[in-house]
Amino acid sequence: MRRRPTQRGTSLLEAVLFLPILMMLLWGLIEFGRISYTFYTLHKMLQTVARYTAQQPGLNFCDESDVQLTQAKTLALRGAGESAGAEIIPNLTADQIRIRLERVDPDTAQLGECDCSATGCDIAQGGRSPDFIVVSFTDGFPMRPNIPFFNAAETFALRPLVRMPVGGN
Amino acid sequence: MQVLVLMVPVFFGFMGFAIDLGRLYMARNELKTAANAMAIAAAQRLNGTEASIEAATAYARIPIDASSGVANKYDFGGSTIGESNGTLNSEEPTLSFYDASSAAIGSEGSTGGEAGGATAKHVRVVVRGEAPTIFWRFLAIGLDGRINLAAQSVAGQSAPVCQACGVEPIAVQAISIEDTVDFGFVPGIRYTLGYLCTGGPTPGALANTTSRVPYVMLNRYNEGATFLADELTQLYRIGSQGLPPASDPATYCLRVNAEEPVWVNAAPLACNANRVASQVSTFLCGLAARFDNATVPAVCNAVNESDTVIAANPADSDLTDVEDYTAYTGNNRRIITVPIVETAAGSTMVVLGFRQFLIEPAANDSTINAADQNGRFAALYLGSRIPVKQGRIDGCTQFAGPGKVVLHQ
Repeated sequence: MRRRPTQRGTSLLEAVLFLPILMMLLWGLIEFGRISYTFYTLHKMLQTVARYTAQQPGLNFCDESDVQLTQAKTLALRGAGESAGAEIIPNLTADQIRIRLERVDPDTAQLGECDCSATGCDIAQGGRSPDFIVVSFTDGFPMRPNIPFFNAAETFALRPLVRMPVGGN
Repeated sequence: MQVLVLMVPVFFGFMGFAIDLGRLYMARNELKTAANAMAIAAAQRLNGTEASIEAATAYARIPIDASSGVANKYDFGGSTIGESNGTLNSEEPTLSFYDASSAAIGSEGSTGGEAGGATAKHVRVVVRGEAPTIFWRFLAIGLDGRINLAAQSVAGQSAPVCQACGVEPIAVQAISIEDTVDFGFVPGIRYTLGYLCTGGPTPGALANTTSRVPYVMLNRYNEGATFLADELTQLYRIGSQGLPPASDPATYCLRVNAEEPVWVNAAPLACNANRVASQVSTFLCGLAARFDNATVPAVCNAVNESDTVIAANPADSDLTDVEDYTAYTGNNRRIITVPIVETAAGSTMVVLGFRQFLIEPAANDSTINAADQNGRFAALYLGSRIPVKQGRIDGCTQFAGPGKVVLHQ
């Protein structure tokens, strides 16, 4: 008498086949969340720098040691104007934040980059404040995805960017 | 087996919550940043002229204009706002203009529709974009793998400022201090602003103006300046661009209710001498640079570094003699924001508030006459039309006056 084949064990087999896919999806979920969260935080930082600096009276974007400029960057990186707060994202430094100055040419009405000179945007030398600032990270912010059993050597850069008009509040 | 298969849609739903919803929120946040930038930019250009709507709309486009390679984008900084990239479509942002902030925000019970350029002071910007979905596109809520997002931002002129920065430090005497809105001036009427002099006879008004209103220079001489340090150069610069930017509000800004002394070397002279101090003429040369930023008037030939000062700022793009302010098409360079005082005097004065004038060219000329022996120039009274660049709104009670650009929402 032949034994009838049972269904027992098939669900275990199914689970074994299904589990890696499930794990990969979950892992991807976590990685995607991590990258999203980082991008969001970076974007928020740049927004903080842009809005804070754009509304400070008499701030000189051409002076790297400008107190208000330094404060804005510290505020963005540490969540507090003083250096007391902990770094929100480790190893991110103030000199990675790049501020591009832009001004609308009055004759051509075209937006152009503005240099730090007396006829440019250096107000300490008699120049005029920029009309817009573009805040970004120099070379972006490097991220390396963590994938199990696969060491990704390559990093890719997150490039958040914020352009804000200068002035007002 | 069956359970696992049944679980797949549920699982996709949950993955959608984690990945797609997160992405949507992020994209909306980026759209909101762009909307903020656009609203602030547009509000800066609302100057109460018919041309201002067009100018504000064009200026508001700059934050999302990707032609220079950088712009506020959305969806991880990948999609350009206001353009379609084949699969995802972002409509051109819509701007609507209002004269009251309540109407712009759309708060309950507010009346008043959209305003024209002459009265608009607030702007509402709506930015729209489509964001992709990965997991939800397999479910019914995916809508072809795209979900519409929108972000709104409202900006406009704030309450009157108590501290105005970068303004022109000449104290103009009020015609009537009973009038808290216009200090006795009438919007749209031309006045001769003449430098204060003592004794008699009072100099007359210029042609096409109703009356002469005295003014004096307030002391903003920066003795510690390391660049453009010469007194006359500083006056020339102040005339051409207002108070030069500085981190110290005591040099950069003027405050309502503050006591301001007269510029030491620009103290009023006797009227019958029929002359003003060279400091006053230099200030007028600076005002003339707002019309013509290529030539220094002859009376200011001796001013040091005048070339540096004059090249730093553009001239106004509208040099015409403006009868009706709403027809003015310039870039606001001719508009001066001045402190109003009860009595212009050769000592200290208390600032009552700030009001704006449009400088008019001299008769049959395209610039003002900087060599006027009584320090006179014609100016159209505007009231409070353009927002000041920087300022503070706390610390005083003002019924009217220029505000600064603020985000309402």
